[in-house]
Amino acid sequence: MDAWKEFEQNPISHSAAHHIVAIKELLEEYGYARVSDVARLLEITRGSASITLKGLKGRGLVTEDDRRFLGLSKIGEQVARSVIAKKTILKKFFIEALGVEEHQADIDTCKIEHLVSSETAERVAQFLRFLDSSHPSSERFRKSLAAFDEPCSGDPSSCPCCVEACLVEELADDEVAGDSRAAEKSKGNTRDDDARREASSKTAASRSTRRESATDDEKGQP
Amino acid sequence: MTPETHRSQREEVLRRLNELFAEETEAAVRYLYLAATVKGLDRATVRNTLFEGIRETLEHAQTIAEKVIQLGGTPKLRIRVEIDDGLTTGRDAIRTALAFEQAALDGYKELLELAGDDVVLEEFARAQIATESQHVSDLYLLLDE
Repeated sequence: MDAWKEFEQNPISHSAAHHIVAIKELLEEYGYARVSDVARLLEITRGSASITLKGLKGRGLVTEDDRRFLGLSKIGEQVARSVIAKKTILKKFFIEALGVEEHQADIDTCKIEHLVSSETAERVAQFLRFLDSSHPSSERFRKSLAAFDEPCSGDPSSCPCCVEACLVEELADDEVAGDSRAAEKSKGNTRDDDARREASSKTAASRSTRRESATDDEKGQP
Repeated sequence: MTPETHRSQREEVLRRLNELFAEETEAAVRYLYLAATVKGLDRATVRNTLFEGIRETLEHAQTIAEKVIQLGGTPKLRIRVEIDDGLTTGRDAIRTALAFEQAALDGYKELLELAGDDVVLEEFARAQIATESQHVSDLYLLLDE
């Protein structure tokens, strides 16, 4: 099945994940959770919370007693723990390994916490363990990564983010979606803009050279 | 009661009223969707109930907005209606309506607790609770469960 179709058919929707995690957080903090508490925590109406929770009860993820106090079934608890674990791992990765600002990391992990596979989350956790370890190569890696600020060369042969075009440059489209990083860029990071323009012209030059070289090779073929 | 306490209590009442304003408006949208998607032999009967729901919830929303204005506030409508696509049976439509009607009833009960010595607000909350309770009972009767 195509990955985007899997996304559509994900059994735990974004909204469902938030409701389940909200119940868990309320139970841990106050010892009880009602529809109104979930609604207030998620800043939605009771009606909305009630409808979503009705669906989750039907799927056996959420329970409700005679006094209408909410709980999580065994599977619901597992889902909540898994979503929280993925969010924690990914947020740590975004902040500590990638240097993403905490607020942005919170927003971005919120979007993917219920979608990322356990296998990928486990690999990210392993990478973080390496990064946190006292292994000499880990320390060298951290220092090198922190010191690395070379702009993209725009050359696909030396940049993993350049295929047909510089993929980092393509990210500028995010500005339309209100991405804070892109918005910050638009405030005027001329140094980066110049570097990108230079990289872009290098990419074009490189592509032109490759095309010429390919044509020469074709010509040379028997 | 100090002026500060009075002000914060009034703000809390306005906040709750605006929550109820959103609650009733969302309910109207949900009734509309349910009325459009209900199917089965009981479709005509259930649709009438749902259309009645649209009319009542919109009336309630208007009443609440008026109440907010009377208290010196500004009606704020923060709604977010997430609806699963698809046709529904009459029974499921009524069950769904019960879920958000019960939620609205709980909201009015919380408002009543906030009324304190404000007899006008208390009267308003009690009247709304009476209406919503009747509505919830009617829906339960339709379900016969």
